Amino acid sequence: MRFLFINHIQNAKQSLRSNRMRSNLTMLGITIGVASITTILALSGGASKIVSNQVDALGGNIAVIRPGAQTETTLQDLSQFPAPQHFAASTLTINDVNTVKVIDHVSAVAPMMVLSGAVKADSGSSVNTAIVASTPALEETGNLKVQDGQFLDDKLSPYTAVIGPQLSVDVFGTENSIGKTVTIKGQLFTIIGVLKRQNNPINYNGVDFDESVIISQAAGQALNQGSLQIQQIDVQSDTVGNLNQAIVDINKAILKNHTGEADFSVLSGDQIAQPTNRLFAAIAGTTTAIAAISLLVGGIGIMNIMLVSVAERTREIGIRKALGASNQDIVTQFLIESLALSIGGGIGGYVIGYLVAFGISSFLPFFPVFTWEIGLVAIGVSLFIGTLFGIYPAIRASRKDPIDALRQYD
Amino acid sequence: MANIKRAKTEPVIVLRDLKKRFGIGDAEHYAINGIDLTIRKGEFIAIMGPSGCGKTTLLNILGLLDSKIEGEYDLEDRPVASLSAGRQARIRSQQIGFIFQSFNLVSRLNVIDNVALPLVYKGTTRLNREKQASAILHNFHLGEREYYMPYQLSGGQTQRVAIARALVNNPSIILADEPTGNLDSQSSHIIMEELSDLHKRGNTIIMVTHNPRLTTYASRVITMLDGKIDTDTAAPNRKKDTEDKKPLGKTPKKRRKTKAKEAQEEVSL
Repeated sequence: MRFLFINHIQNAKQSLRSNRMRSNLTMLGITIGVASITTILALSGGASKIVSNQVDALGGNIAVIRPGAQTETTLQDLSQFPAPQHFAASTLTINDVNTVKVIDHVSAVAPMMVLSGAVKADSGSSVNTAIVASTPALEETGNLKVQDGQFLDDKLSPYTAVIGPQLSVDVFGTENSIGKTVTIKGQLFTIIGVLKRQNNPINYNGVDFDESVIISQAAGQALNQGSLQIQQIDVQSDTVGNLNQAIVDINKAILKNHTGEADFSVLSGDQIAQPTNRLFAAIAGTTTAIAAISLLVGGIGIMNIMLVSVAERTREIGIRKALGASNQDIVTQFLIESLALSIGGGIGGYVIGYLVAFGISSFLPFFPVFTWEIGLVAIGVSLFIGTLFGIYPAIRASRKDPIDALRQYD
Repeated sequence: MANIKRAKTEPVIVLRDLKKRFGIGDAEHYAINGIDLTIRKGEFIAIMGPSGCGKTTLLNILGLLDSKIEGEYDLEDRPVASLSAGRQARIRSQQIGFIFQSFNLVSRLNVIDNVALPLVYKGTTRLNREKQASAILHNFHLGEREYYMPYQLSGGQTQRVAIARALVNNPSIILADEPTGNLDSQSSHIIMEELSDLHKRGNTIIMVTHNPRLTTYASRVITMLDGKIDTDTAAPNRKKDTEDKKPLGKTPKKRRKTKAKEAQEEVSL
């Protein structure tokens, strides 16, 4: 058993330490590249996780029906983040809602229609926000909690509204707005409830309930020139185990309603988060490409420094060969040195990347995600760069003729 | 004589019509121009000759550092040309100790790491490496300089470190290029005693030197001239008496002077 490997590591440590400034600057290139990749992955991971977490938090028994067939990622899809189509006519109808309601294992169904418009208080302050028209079942399917008053009720007048706490503050200057009236699209609504603060701007409903107002479906239809545009139907099954069966039944039933046209999609679990994920994946992809360029530059930096190092140590290579080092020993020695540079930079980049991610996340509604995959990517990328850009100088070093190498005086 | 007895041991190195060419075309020049030489196990050979006669080149070839040669070189009955680069490296690591003319210490390693360097490629553990390196440095009275850097040593000390490094892995063949070239007579004595001790233990030593005094330690003296062997004390067809030899180089006066000194030394010894 040869103990060369440990020796090579000690050797590399020593050699890098003797040129501290040079080594640190070389590592910096890799650090920046890996840091940006780590930040991007951690943040995009955190963002997409937030949606699937909500689905999980509800017990995993939520499915959503959206109009339009599920398509592959296109740039158009990305621009639709986060709400479904606002302007196109929805293919989902009230008939579909009623069909789904009677399917086995379906415990709650809430159609959602999201309008945008101004919410005005008597005092005159007006806020543009999302107006959600839905049914009382939304309380359950959207996991909404009322902190004050009550949720929508079919028995009450359709012109009652539940307001998000932040919107309440924005409009009335207080969260205690029960009984006050707001004007939405020229129609007066009485506030009957205030939602509990959620801090969940990104969710599978595509609406930040903290900042929106919820009105009844009938009122929504009336405000939308009498046409009902169902943009999403939230479905809750009685148990997690029955969700898949329910989805199959829903698919069949709506397909029948739509005379065989698959112009809708039923999503569950991670699929719900997909549009969000796709957006982040696209952002992450673009920024990763930029980070890759900085990694490439960092890698060239490593190659450059290793070539300098090899040239500087030509004599040492000659001595080592004369003392019995094989070509392979020399390759390993220099390769480990370049790997030490790239992995050192990679670890530094991983740490700095998370620091940056946490810094950025203080301005964002989610936290960066910690997964072993990101660590693996950081280390993998540095290993790859170190090998890719270290192998040529190392081979060059090993090919030196010992006699010529010894003749070079330093 | 002891060296005659030793002459019957098995040959370690056999050279047949060895040639080494430098340059091409008009600049072509043979640094070694047809050497036939058999070196047997346990010989202590001193190679002498004027500058540029190919001594160092020959030593580099014997040490497997230079493989671009013409002619044949058999090391322990195996033609060197047939050995792979890796195998040659292993032979250098395990069988050959090289003492360079210009020290050739690695400047960024301290003394003990320099001495332990050949053991690295032999696969010795760190602890054992340091133990062995430390032991040999003590032999050379350098025990207190273990953690010095090469530039902090005097010329003599540096040379002793270089020799300690060549001997640390107990090589069976020791190639020394002017091992005492930079040493005072006291240090030279220590080094030569060490080499002669190694010789007594059965190691083969091939030493290049300019100093005729050192040939007294050798069992066989070879002189080279213009890439060829000029005289060889072991060759039966040559006169052993050095008086009949033609003088080396073009400085007969100087040579006479050194011979006179040598005589003095011998009287004093």
